[in-house]
Amino acid sequence: MENEQVQTLYIERFNVVQRLTHLLVILSFLTLALTGMALKFAMEPWAQDIAYLGGGFVVLGALHRFCAIVTFFYFFMTIVMIHAEWKDSQKSLLTFLFAPEGLMPNLNDAKEMLGTFKWFFGGPRPYYGRWTYWEKFDFFAVFWGIAVIGGSGLALWFPEAFSRFMPGWGLNVATIIHSDEALLASGFIFTIHFYNTHLRPEKFPLDPVIFVGKITVDELKHERPREYDQLLGSGELEKLTSRRSPRGWLVKMAYTAGIFFVVTGSILIIYIISTMYQYISSH
Amino acid sequence: MTQTSISRIGRQSLFITLCVFLCGQAYAMPDEACMECHSDPEMTTEMDGAEISLFIDYNIFKETIHAENGCISCHEDADVEEGEDHPVPLAPVFCGTCHEEIQQTYETSMHGEARLIAGDMQAPKCHNCHTKHRILPPSDKRSPTYPLNIPDTCGSCHKEGSSMTKEHNIGQTYIVQKYSMSIHGKGLYVDGLIVTATCVSCHTPHNVQAPNDPRSSVNRENIIETCNQCHVGIVDKFKKSVHSPLVTKTDKMLPVCFDCHTSHNISRVGEKDFRLLIAEQCSNCHTHESESFFETYHGKAGLLRGGEKAAKCSDCHGAHSIMPITSNKSFINPENIVQTCKTCHPEANEGFTAYIAHGTHHDKEKYPALYYTFWAMTGLLVGTFSFFGLHTILWIPRSLIERFKEISKD
Repeated sequence: MENEQVQTLYIERFNVVQRLTHLLVILSFLTLALTGMALKFAMEPWAQDIAYLGGGFVVLGALHRFCAIVTFFYFFMTIVMIHAEWKDSQKSLLTFLFAPEGLMPNLNDAKEMLGTFKWFFGGPRPYYGRWTYWEKFDFFAVFWGIAVIGGSGLALWFPEAFSRFMPGWGLNVATIIHSDEALLASGFIFTIHFYNTHLRPEKFPLDPVIFVGKITVDELKHERPREYDQLLGSGELEKLTSRRSPRGWLVKMAYTAGIFFVVTGSILIIYIISTMYQYISSH
Repeated sequence: MTQTSISRIGRQSLFITLCVFLCGQAYAMPDEACMECHSDPEMTTEMDGAEISLFIDYNIFKETIHAENGCISCHEDADVEEGEDHPVPLAPVFCGTCHEEIQQTYETSMHGEARLIAGDMQAPKCHNCHTKHRILPPSDKRSPTYPLNIPDTCGSCHKEGSSMTKEHNIGQTYIVQKYSMSIHGKGLYVDGLIVTATCVSCHTPHNVQAPNDPRSSVNRENIIETCNQCHVGIVDKFKKSVHSPLVTKTDKMLPVCFDCHTSHNISRVGEKDFRLLIAEQCSNCHTHESESFFETYHGKAGLLRGGEKAAKCSDCHGAHSIMPITSNKSFINPENIVQTCKTCHPEANEGFTAYIAHGTHHDKEKYPALYYTFWAMTGLLVGTFSFFGLHTILWIPRSLIERFKEISKD
């Protein structure tokens, strides 16, 4: 047997379209969160600092609305891409949507969630496939978020038009829904999502895959054992792997941008949490 | 005696009387006599340990309003026989000899009582504001009582760091600076508008009283009439509004001009500094409305840089014509409210005006929609974060174990 140097094999998890979309999501979401929270917490000095640095209230408002449009755009584009994939697959709509390894939550996810809690307490690691239940939750939460935040946001953006068919106090309700759902979304992303993806000790300080796209096959085997076995069994694995490691510049950029985004989001959520803690404890 | 002798005596007596009279006149000290010494710029004397100049610039004095009276009309005790010395020092001049009414007003003023009764030498007398030998009318640009000079004249004592400020608690600080930045001050200094309000317009020139004195022109009870000297239109409106004691009978204190506009910081109502101030001022009495206002979009936007144009109390409720909502003159009465909102929202309609400007989600009875929405959302947040928070926390030890496994593998 030749003494082969063991070379690392890589597999692509996220293609370039998915990666660019996620970059767009990050940029727009962070801007929405910063500009929106500056208004929600306007009485706080840190919020006033954001407004001051951002160029003032009018600029913040313009940025917020612009990024809202970006959000509608990538949401729409995602639907378009899913539609294209469906057409490609030549399956019926229901078969396509509810494909066992697809993004739709199913019974297996419930089992894996239970399994995960057991794993926390010493049980075996669940046999995760392409998408784990927490990733599916994150994906569909956006649908929910866009409907709720987007809907209430549009009402607040065009209050005169909306109050033609909705009573004016609906704007007060829209404000509560919009700002609380935004708190839920930002709070969730900057804590739970950041933890699941970057901050958990296994991945700390950052998992760059969402920008780099490739992971090692070893990592795949460990993180997504069911997916690995399926690819191995079907023979697909060989076709999808390559020895080409991700470009050095891409990895550097991924880490730089990634750390910047995670730190920004974390700082914002720390300010929000401390402000809310003060509100709650003083009432 | 013959008739001719009597008339001759009569004529002689008349002549002698005339002579004596004229001689007496010849011996009244003319100004030239005084100026023989007092035209020397170097002439000084010592008083209370300080060296003071005794120089009188007669060229200026000639132009003053008192020029024709002559020195001795004020300095009576300087009228001595030729060759004699006048007493040193001369007795203080008593302006009240001619200016009776002003003297009486001054005597009961705060300045007057401080100087004349309490002997406070830091309180002004006539000459502190009007000068001694350069008294010119307020219409003369050179006079310290000319409108452009009034703030400096008053400001010579009423400024930070002056000996007067150090020993008296005036209650207001940086008066001249604040005034200079106020709308009145800008009118005066930037536009040279000498009819604008200066210190004496509000405080009167000779009857300055402490603001808490009921005789003061700037006391709560009197300030409206003081501002009414110029702002007649506004006072007319105000007297018909809900804040006027003529309209609202209450034990509570009603606001007067300076409650909203401050005393010396009076700024233009479109300006940032006034708009930032007004929500606070109203909150002094209307605390609940103010708090709920700051929970709304208008309140929050107004707190951020660049958001000063967002509606404030006076934009919706009016400033001087505030009426209760039940009155058809109220800006927020259903008859008028669409117009009011249209000031900033040209597309405003009736539905739009049903927006709750002072709502709060704490009041279940008054605002049930807000209450239930708030608690539904809060429930959603608490539920989501509890579940996933638990998930995250429980993951940590497992994740640490996995990490150490990896590290020990290498």
